[in-house]
Amino acid sequence: MLWYKAWLETRWRFTFLIGSILVVWLMLLWLPSLSSVPASRQWVGLQLGSVLLYMFAAIYLAGGGINSQTLYAVTSGFHGSMLFTLSLPVSRRRLLFVRAGLGAILTCSLVVCMAGYILFRRAEPVGALQSLADIARAVVCTMAVYALSVLLACVLDEMWQFMGACLIWFAVFLLGSRFAPVARFSPIRGMSLSSHPHSSATPWAAVITSAAVCVIFTCSSILILRRKEY
Amino acid sequence: MDLRINFTSGVPIYLQLMEQIKHAVETGAVRAGEQLPTIRKVAEELAMNPNTVARAYRELEHEGVIEVRHGSGAYVLEPGRSSKATAIRRSSDALRPAIEKAIVLGLSEPELRRVFESELSRLLDDAATARRKS
Amino acid sequence: MNDLVIATQGLSKSYNGKPALRGLDLEVPRGAIYGFLGRNGAGKTTTLKLLLGMLRRDAGEIWLLNAPIRSEMDSVAARRRIAFVTEEKELYPFMNVGQMIRFTRPFFPTWRPELEKKYLDVFRLPLNLSVSKLSKGMRTQLMLLLAMARGAELLIMDEPTSGLDPVATEEVLQALADLAAGGNATIFFSSHQLTEVEQICDRVCVIDDGKTVIDGVLDDLKSQYRRVVLVFDGEPPQSVASLPGVDHLRRRGRTVSLLAHTDIDGVVDRARELAPVSVEVHAVSLKELFLDHVRGE
Repeated sequence: MLWYKAWLETRWRFTFLIGSILVVWLMLLWLPSLSSVPASRQWVGLQLGSVLLYMFAAIYLAGGGINSQTLYAVTSGFHGSMLFTLSLPVSRRRLLFVRAGLGAILTCSLVVCMAGYILFRRAEPVGALQSLADIARAVVCTMAVYALSVLLACVLDEMWQFMGACLIWFAVFLLGSRFAPVARFSPIRGMSLSSHPHSSATPWAAVITSAAVCVIFTCSSILILRRKEY
Repeated sequence: MDLRINFTSGVPIYLQLMEQIKHAVETGAVRAGEQLPTIRKVAEELAMNPNTVARAYRELEHEGVIEVRHGSGAYVLEPGRSSKATAIRRSSDALRPAIEKAIVLGLSEPELRRVFESELSRLLDDAATARRKS
Repeated sequence: MNDLVIATQGLSKSYNGKPALRGLDLEVPRGAIYGFLGRNGAGKTTTLKLLLGMLRRDAGEIWLLNAPIRSEMDSVAARRRIAFVTEEKELYPFMNVGQMIRFTRPFFPTWRPELEKKYLDVFRLPLNLSVSKLSKGMRTQLMLLLAMARGAELLIMDEPTSGLDPVATEEVLQALADLAAGGNATIFFSSHQLTEVEQICDRVCVIDDGKTVIDGVLDDLKSQYRRVVLVFDGEPPQSVASLPGVDHLRRRGRTVSLLAHTDIDGVVDRARELAPVSVEVHAVSLKELFLDHVRGE
């Protein structure tokens, strides 16, 4: 039933996300001038759009859960119900796992769909194995962003979590465009399919870094939540 | 049986309940051989603590007013040597002069009640203490 | 020794250097309805949250249902047999009554469907009504239902009747009396509604400024404590302040009011030696006991 509760809490964010995607997609379909844009530029635009989508999903869907349901003196309703949840015979680790887990599943679904779509539109044909590897790569790197967002949600209020995550990744992006070593390890580059000169090479550095970051931040979130006071 | 407890008075609730039940026996609201309501029923009706009801029933059994039969419930016992009605009449006779005196001294009704309650609870308490020691 | 459902020893907690609990010792025996009283800010909610693992203690030991609580695992295990009713009675606003029940049920293998049905009927809670539309009284009822139907051995509540009208209050107390009469549950609740506590509790503990000031069986406290009221002809003598065996003393003009609970006769005799005009001994209500102990001289 925890999964059901997590879904009830997350569904509006997810719906908003899907809705936004649909709106943007419809807008792009409508603009006649787009068909005149050269394919290479379209490809870049698609990459940028997909990366932004992954990031937005990862940051947005991570918030609003157990992490951020802190008690406020005045508010009642959503935030105060945290005490009821905490009085249940469930460990905090499990609460985080379910809530963040659901957000992760939703985010990954979005990534898989989007990445699949992009690969479908790719100009040069590429083997199935490579396509799967590319999709997996996008998922892992997005999860690094997600894990950081979950960690931030453990310590910051929802609005601050969103802004904080945006700021951090924007900084990472800027540093990556300026300093090549940063770009090698940056999950942002890892999730984008145009991050490497040849379309079939996998940026292992970024992937491994992302996986490590994911594990570290998840463990940190659990530790923080264990010690949190309500 | 109509039971009324004053929860905020200084008189312990179990004592009040015992007095109420004894009074019900004296006035004939419950008769010898009749069953008292279960502890659970009394607790729920008065929204009071069942442990307190149980204590009152225990003390009443100790005093020989009721008998608790296993699995069956609490039953009112036959009164002792002197008939209850006589005891009531004799107590009223004994109390009347004391009350008249207090009124002559100028005590108002609430003052008189306070004095009476404080003496009553002290005496009952001494009796309970004496019984515990014995 | 008694079967203690809750026991604490030296429980202490501070917030930002300010102490909220300063060495609390508590013992709640099985089957009791235990009232935990104190002024706002005395440490009541802090204690409840410490018991349930929502706060971390600075010092002291906690035992719940005869098991020491030293880790999160201990706390989770204990919570399988405990129910908590929060002060604001908040549940999930995105669920309705039926969903809340279906959500809570699977956590407790000791769930009692007959109690769920009984209290749905008694409280007349419509299954399809959203939690966000429930009044505080109805939320209290729903939380009570969830607490009682799970077959908990210990029910911990924070101000159970706050914000309720007299009818709703009486219904809550009746439900508690019924639950206690079932024989399996112990009830521990914090309150500052003294009348409700006097009505339903058999044991009480009053805390003030993070420490216990009185505790015991309520009827025994009422038997033991007495107020001795002395009226003097002129100014009361200074020596009245140093009468032994007196817990609390208050002077109002020519009247001195003494609170004592041991050897009342001795206190009265010693008081008579001071030659007052009148000596009266009165019983003491919980309200007087409470106010005298938390307001100080």
